[in-house]
Amino acid sequence: MVSTSNVVVNHASRTAPAPSVVNSAPQPGGAVIDPTALPSGNIDPLPPFRDVAVSDRQLLFLRKLQICCFQFDFTDTLKSVREKEIKRQTLLELIDFIQSGSGKITENNQEEMIKMISVNIFRCLPPAPHENSGSEMLEIEEEPYAEPAWPHLHLVYELLLRYVVSSDTDTKIAKRYIDHSFVLKLLDLFDADDPREREYLKTILHRIYGKFMVHRPFIRKAINNIFYRFIYETERHSGIGELLEILGSIINGFALPMKEEHKLFLVRALIPLHKPKALALYHQQLSYCITQFVEKDYKLADTVIRGLLKYWPITNCTKELLFLGELEEVLEATQSAEFQRCMVPLFRQIGRCLNSSHSQVAERAFFLWKNDHIVSLIAQNRNVILPIIFEPLEKNVQSHWNQAVHGLTINIRKMFLEMDFELFEECQKQHEEMEARARELEEQRELIWKRLAEAAEQRKGEDGITV
Amino acid sequence: MAMIDEPLYPIAVLIDELKNEDIQLRLNSIRRLSTIARALGEERTRKELIPFLSENNDDDDEVLLAMAEELGVFIPYVGGVEHANVLLPPLETLCSVEETCVRDKAVESLCRIGAQMREPDLVESFIPLVKRLAGGEWFTARVSSCGLFHIAYPSAPETLKTELRALYSQLCQDDMPMVRRSAASNLGKFAATVEAAHLKADIMSIFEDLTQDDQDSVRLLAVEGCAALGKLLEPQDCVAHILPVIVNFSQDKSWRVRYMVANQLYELCEAVGPEPTRSDLVPAYVRLLRDNEAEVRIAAAGKVTKFCRILNPELAIQHILPCVKELSSDSSQHVRSALASVIMGMAPVLGKDATIDQLLPIFLSLLKDEFPDVRLNIISKLDQVNQVIGIDLLSQSLLPAIVELAEDRHWRVRLAIIEYIPLLASQLGVGFFDDKLGALCMQWLKDKVYSIRDAAANNVKRLAEEFGPDWAMQHIIPQVLDMINNPHYLYRMTILHAISLLAPVMGSEITCSKLLPVVINAAKDRVPNIKFNVAKVLQSLTPIVDQSVVDKTIRPCLVELSEDPDVDVRFFASQALQASDQIMMSS
Repeated sequence: MVSTSNVVVNHASRTAPAPSVVNSAPQPGGAVIDPTALPSGNIDPLPPFRDVAVSDRQLLFLRKLQICCFQFDFTDTLKSVREKEIKRQTLLELIDFIQSGSGKITENNQEEMIKMISVNIFRCLPPAPHENSGSEMLEIEEEPYAEPAWPHLHLVYELLLRYVVSSDTDTKIAKRYIDHSFVLKLLDLFDADDPREREYLKTILHRIYGKFMVHRPFIRKAINNIFYRFIYETERHSGIGELLEILGSIINGFALPMKEEHKLFLVRALIPLHKPKALALYHQQLSYCITQFVEKDYKLADTVIRGLLKYWPITNCTKELLFLGELEEVLEATQSAEFQRCMVPLFRQIGRCLNSSHSQVAERAFFLWKNDHIVSLIAQNRNVILPIIFEPLEKNVQSHWNQAVHGLTINIRKMFLEMDFELFEECQKQHEEMEARARELEEQRELIWKRLAEAAEQRKGEDGITV
Repeated sequence: MAMIDEPLYPIAVLIDELKNEDIQLRLNSIRRLSTIARALGEERTRKELIPFLSENNDDDDEVLLAMAEELGVFIPYVGGVEHANVLLPPLETLCSVEETCVRDKAVESLCRIGAQMREPDLVESFIPLVKRLAGGEWFTARVSSCGLFHIAYPSAPETLKTELRALYSQLCQDDMPMVRRSAASNLGKFAATVEAAHLKADIMSIFEDLTQDDQDSVRLLAVEGCAALGKLLEPQDCVAHILPVIVNFSQDKSWRVRYMVANQLYELCEAVGPEPTRSDLVPAYVRLLRDNEAEVRIAAAGKVTKFCRILNPELAIQHILPCVKELSSDSSQHVRSALASVIMGMAPVLGKDATIDQLLPIFLSLLKDEFPDVRLNIISKLDQVNQVIGIDLLSQSLLPAIVELAEDRHWRVRLAIIEYIPLLASQLGVGFFDDKLGALCMQWLKDKVYSIRDAAANNVKRLAEEFGPDWAMQHIIPQVLDMINNPHYLYRMTILHAISLLAPVMGSEITCSKLLPVVINAAKDRVPNIKFNVAKVLQSLTPIVDQSVVDKTIRPCLVELSEDPDVDVRFFASQALQASDQIMMSS
């Protein structure tokens, strides 16, 4: 018994209990195939479409679909090599058949094809790296995950894509098979780890959205649900970037004036998407969506800016740099009225960024002044803005460790000085006064709380509250 | 200052502070909400402070979270339970904010308050609040409402009860999966408050809907409900309604659902009784132990002892043990590791014979596993197996395993084994320990990783405690003191640290005769770090030894160090001198 310790049982072998190539037993985790749909015994290659009469092709199509319902164990490359090849060839033929437009396929065959596609692609995704107990080892390797069954899966996806985009496909009929449940399962797959799979899903879902008008509200709602779960529950999802990419192009097509539903989507989903830690993974796509909104309807600018301020990172400097970049893009499309509505909290935050001890953050914040549009907004509102950022500028002059930040601070100070000498002097005076009173204010605060505590104690005696 | 005589307006102070730009100041003021309330008095707290807080919900989430927490314990400040209902409006608002932490805390506080409220008040204000939240426009309110039903339901009159059940059923079918998940995870709590008759009718149909949800995130929360509901139902109802569900779940196509089943299954065994356990749950569990997905096997393996404790030994030997054998050579090290952490507990269940015949070979093979965590997990539970088969049978395999772990290249593994050494020492006894493990304990003091040296010093102390000063004088002290001559100052420092730990255990006499001279000698070390550590150690020895020794030996040495050229040495020496002055004064 002791000597067996080095023998490792390979559990993957349990997927195929019988010598048969088929996973027909309802193994947990494996797809369940309707056994009546399966030809008995082994898979045999079928003749190509061109070798049979046109009238027989629909039947042949169906039989080819049945072959493609078989699933194989791809963890073992040596297993069922011949059968895998037959399925691959068959899938290619099906794709070719759809693509060539060599005749519409019957409704029944469409239904069977979607069933075959479902059997192949709708599976429970394996544990993601973070869910996997062996993750410490996985994190070291940077390689993206590669789905072992991809050689077949990508053909199945290709077939689905060809079917969706084909001009022969009548949405009135196809929507019966590509229904809500199908779309929902497709969306579930966006969490797949293999980027190739997500790429296909993105293209397919986008095409479905474009072609099946009836599904549009449902798809938007379902994507929202994925976002909410990601933001408020798990903070883990592999496909946020892809989903946002689809949305980017959807937003691009929104008609004006924008519907209330779409504005709500901005406020309830897109803006909160700035919160999760993994922002960097999808920030580019998110930022595109956000600027699309503001460019379409500039009145949304202050909503967006306030949103950014709400989720502004406190300790994560990498995220902060992304925020500053996005902020610049939004400000670029911001008009004076909206700017004025949010400039006070905005420049308080910018002031904090200017003081950041992370020099890149401070520099990035100063770069906002390189943007002519932003500078003109600031110049128009200098009476409000300079008093807010005067103190941060002074603080940098006195104590920022980084030479470049020092230089930038001096430049901006000079810019304000030249812009409005009187205002600058006024701010300087106020700042000096505040500086002098800072200690006093702090002492006053302490004193007030002390008096409150005393008053509370006294009360306690009177009221006899026992806490 | 002039303001000292100005009248104090507590609310104004709070309003002022909450306007501050600095979030830390805002947080501080919320944390001192009770001070403000006490200064205001109960009535003004009710009439002014609470309404103000209800309005002030546009702050940072951090501030809102603090507010949600403070309000949960605010009943005394508003005048006791008869006024508790005034606290509901601000918390209701917080139940609808976006941030999950804030909502959760608000629900928690509402439950806490609701549990103390009087019945008529609950009917008048708490239940309507639950209904409002459940009908909320945005999902956050509906999610929060699910966690409040179990507080609201028991005091509701009959018609309201019917309404609440219907409302909960609606939440379980909500359009948004977030709400369904919340309803699913709170179902057990709510069901526990529902009368038996309605349990079977209403709650079970709600439950069945959840178990068939198309989102696996909802289904896996329903699994948790299985155990909770199972405990509420009569055994025959449990067999009729819960058993088929759990058996189905154990074959769900989502591994996450099966993972949950693997974690929960043992809890259902008691609820369904022995016969259905044998006929249905054991096969389900065996399937999970052999699942394709390693994560599911990890969960199942981790529950193997808990499951076997419920079964009779025969069933366990016949059905579970063969799986355990397979798992002990599973391809995933984490499965083996999970098994190793619980397998020791099976010994008392199986009894001595089965343990020796069947379990022992598995222990031994796990003890030689290539993955150190597996071996560690076995060793950490050694006391359990010792109770059943005695250490003699194991010791032969044990020692090589320990030695190998002691030299593992990962310092965390070495650290873990050091931490088990005192346990091993107490289990193995002095004899076994002397020959074999003593040398290892000394070797760790010379480890190249600080944490290991630190743990090794601590270990030496714990051994001295376990086996007593006489034993330590013979087996530890000479070897430890020997190392003070190590050419590397870091190792000399470890010894100083070990001495400071050993001194209280060894007592005054040995400290004076053996330990102190070594320390005094080290004061002449050429490395300043050693010297200031000498000062620190001397300070720690002062309370142990007699005053005469302090005066004659320790203080002169410290005085000398306090004139050292190195600033740090002077600092610690004078600190130690001051401390010894204080002891003298107080005595």
